[in-house]
Amino acid sequence: MEEFLQNSGFLIVTMVQQSLLAMSLYYPLMAGQLSLASPGFYALGGYTAAIIGTHEFFTPLRESIGWLAFPLEWLVAGVLSAILALIVGIPALRLRGIYLALATIAFVEILRVLCLNLTITGGAIGIFDVPQLFESRWSYIWIFGPLLVMMLFFSYRLEKSRTGRAFQAIREDELAADSMGINPTRYKVLAFVIGAVLAGIVGAMSAPFLNTWNARQGTFDASIAYLAYVLIGGSRSIWGPLLGGAMLSALPEVLRPLKDSRLIINGLVLVFASIYMPKGIAGVISRLKRSLTWKSRKNGGEA
Amino acid sequence: MGTAQFIQNFLNGISIGSVYAIFALGYTLVFSILGIINFAHGAVFTLGAYFTYTLTVGQFGINGLLAGLTIDNHLPFYLAIIIGSTLAGLVGVLLERLAFKPLRSRGGDQLLALVSSLGVALVLVNAIQYLVGAEIYTFPAEVYGTMKPAIMFKVGEQPVVIRTVQVIIFAVCMFVLAILGFLISRTRIGKALQAVAENQATASLLGINVDRIILFTFFLSGFLGGMAGTLVGTSFGIAGPYFGVTYGLKGLAVIVLGGLGSIPGAVLGGMVIGLAEAFVPADYSAYKEAVAFAFLFIILLLRPQGLLGRPMIQKV
Amino acid sequence: MKRVAIAAISLLAVATVAQAELVGKPIPIGIGVAQTSNVALLGEEEVNGAKIAEKYFNDNGGINGTPFKLIFQDTGGDEAGAINSFQNLMNRDKVVGIVGPTLSQQAFSADPIANRAKVPVIGPSNTAKGIPQIGEYVGRVSAPVAVVAPNAVKQALKEHPNIKKVAVLYAQNDAFNTSESGTFQETVKKMGLQIATIQKFQTTDTDFTTQVTAVLGANVDLAIVSGLSADGGNLVKQLRQLGYKGPIIGGNGLNTVNIFPVCGQYCDGILIAQAYSPSADPKNAINNALVKAYRDKYKKDPPQFTAQTFTAVQVFVEALKKVEAATKKKITQMELAKVREELNKQIRVGTYITPLGKISLDHEGEIHQENFYVAKIKMNPDNKTGKYIYVK
Repeated sequence: MEEFLQNSGFLIVTMVQQSLLAMSLYYPLMAGQLSLASPGFYALGGYTAAIIGTHEFFTPLRESIGWLAFPLEWLVAGVLSAILALIVGIPALRLRGIYLALATIAFVEILRVLCLNLTITGGAIGIFDVPQLFESRWSYIWIFGPLLVMMLFFSYRLEKSRTGRAFQAIREDELAADSMGINPTRYKVLAFVIGAVLAGIVGAMSAPFLNTWNARQGTFDASIAYLAYVLIGGSRSIWGPLLGGAMLSALPEVLRPLKDSRLIINGLVLVFASIYMPKGIAGVISRLKRSLTWKSRKNGGEA
Repeated sequence: MGTAQFIQNFLNGISIGSVYAIFALGYTLVFSILGIINFAHGAVFTLGAYFTYTLTVGQFGINGLLAGLTIDNHLPFYLAIIIGSTLAGLVGVLLERLAFKPLRSRGGDQLLALVSSLGVALVLVNAIQYLVGAEIYTFPAEVYGTMKPAIMFKVGEQPVVIRTVQVIIFAVCMFVLAILGFLISRTRIGKALQAVAENQATASLLGINVDRIILFTFFLSGFLGGMAGTLVGTSFGIAGPYFGVTYGLKGLAVIVLGGLGSIPGAVLGGMVIGLAEAFVPADYSAYKEAVAFAFLFIILLLRPQGLLGRPMIQKV
Repeated sequence: MKRVAIAAISLLAVATVAQAELVGKPIPIGIGVAQTSNVALLGEEEVNGAKIAEKYFNDNGGINGTPFKLIFQDTGGDEAGAINSFQNLMNRDKVVGIVGPTLSQQAFSADPIANRAKVPVIGPSNTAKGIPQIGEYVGRVSAPVAVVAPNAVKQALKEHPNIKKVAVLYAQNDAFNTSESGTFQETVKKMGLQIATIQKFQTTDTDFTTQVTAVLGANVDLAIVSGLSADGGNLVKQLRQLGYKGPIIGGNGLNTVNIFPVCGQYCDGILIAQAYSPSADPKNAINNALVKAYRDKYKKDPPQFTAQTFTAVQVFVEALKKVEAATKKKITQMELAKVREELNKQIRVGTYITPLGKISLDHEGEIHQENFYVAKIKMNPDNKTGKYIYVK
């Protein structure tokens, strides 16, 4: 078991981490907004943690609070992401569909170029020697895991809440929601901010996890990857992004024995998955579940 | 900024812009018909360059399955670029049949087309590397015939220079645009294409074979992408399988700026972004890369339908 | 069912812990470089160097008669990929040491993990400041930029004593080129020259007219380019095509024969700062062997990354021999953890005669390389191939 964790621990934590990032796309999507801004906030969060963790300005702070620096990094990353999300979101969320997606891609790209040029972000090399919370990669499950559980619980409560129902209403029909007295802009921005804060916190947790942080962490490629997570996983329930993120991020590693052709196969899987699983992995699972219960009923009781 | 400097920047801008334009046209054509972005367009661009290279040079490097292979039959370049682009167009057709059509006929989420085209891009790019490695392939210098490398003239006392290959690329792009304009506005198939872009249901009631028009659009898109790839390849060399990625990303900015789905818009968008990049002051060259996206962001906020687009159509 | 599974897993765990692991035979050495992604252009050069080294050293008796084998695990171009590659090499393939990764940014991510697991790593192409300081198990055979660059500027001044104004151009999204350019700029200032313009570009750019026009406008006497083969080569070409006549210095990223077809005739005369020269020292037997093997296979001279990766494998092979000499035991009869520890010690002992010339790794793992070169490119009449003529 220990050997298994030593070898695959990093991958398993990565799967959780990518699931969380996929979920950060899901919240805006709950309110019908296709935002691909998460890599930007993820990058921001990572830089926040890396800077607080390494910059000499924060040395006295780090020395006085010790390990509490880590939760502080998450908090600061979350707050900064929320502020940036408000600044970007309020104007951008007037856009819909693909237009919003493109505006958020532009945001990610502008942020990337900015980080490449600033001194505090370490330019092209980035920031390295980020202080570690745990010795082994596997142990990082103790921060990403609880965050995942918390977000699942949060999503469950959210869907049942007034806010969740407002999201739902906007997703189904924005005009109708508006006429029912739901302020669409307010809720759309809220959904966007929730996603951004999550991505920011995941970024702050990831800088120690990856040991280093640089401008290559938040890119257009990542935007598209997260979108694929959500769509292949299924965009109608929180389990979709969770499964999609975990499975698609593990795929290239699972295909590693295929050597040179592994990414070709990876691409083919994406094509087939989008054709044959139009409701995503979550859709397939719920269909399986339904047909199983149906069968077992037909067989008259438990199998 | 002096007049000479201004003219210099302007020439630089439109020469870069013309390539952006012809690349983005392929994007926007597909969007106009299906309302989706084809993420594999950058890979088709790359592939077109490799096709033409194979036909006209046909000498492979030291990595990949085809390492050391030399093809002895060389086509003249002008023929190779047409056949190479046609092959890229056929890849576009294949792309439609394998990654787009099955989705449409199954009535799945339209957004899934983004993922399936992304999958195709991943397949194409890695298949290229599998076959010919990640090396740089270059076209011979005299591919357009023997000429002076640059043209220089004077404005007042100041010299203005432009590389000959840029002038050629610009001319070829303008020529292709003219033909495309004619094709779309004056021919039967072009009019049918416009009708399908307007409204598929109506077009099909009018007796237009929508399926065929969609195929034709993908062919055209692939052809233009492949040609753009080859043109950039002749000026720059083919810098590995990821060569088209930057264009794929910047092309997005171009088509949104011009107006998603608008053909003249793609041309205008390409020119505007080319010019904007060229006019970035030298001291801020580090931020050049962000210019296209700053434009994209601002235009989306001010005028989401783009410069020449019609007011928002609700397509995804 | 669940209970059975848990029992099986715990049994498995017990079984693996029970016996201390020995080193496999042939002795496995890991190569974790970028075989896919847009970094593969560099990674391929490294793979080729590793493969030639594997054959060469095994043909020459391996590790005192025991053959070794290289195990390749692709890192892709990103940080997570590098960690995954390293984890596979360390835990699944049980390698004694790792050559890799390709990029410095990847090294900052994956090297600390190998360091904590006490697996020796040798970077074949990580040139950023701070790499050997990652930990005691991390070393490199790629000289940091600061020592390579200044020679070329001195050489240019020797050839053209009238140089006053200098243009500096670099690929700002690339860690190596950014820090190399910093060194160039310092050198230029130290020598009392004036930096007339600094132009930045991206390794993914295809058009450099804006940068070139700015250089032409600044009327400089020397242009210094830090880029990789595709972008750097094209920048040189566009500089020349648009009429820049003065001398050009190319950074270490241009030290690859792959730029010859890119800039063609315009490559002629570029001064290149080299950490490796295929032809500077005709008496270097091991370099001659590498060059011959590479020419036989690929019909051209090996690029720097190929030579550096070859060197990294060589350091492992020779250090493994030293481990056998020091412990008086065969590697294959020793415990893996012990071999890794001894190997890391031996890597840092003594000197190596490599294709890079005489080198050693200090206690931190930093390379000390005796010779750096400045070469001038001389193109052949076909304008596709050429040579580096050693000037200093």
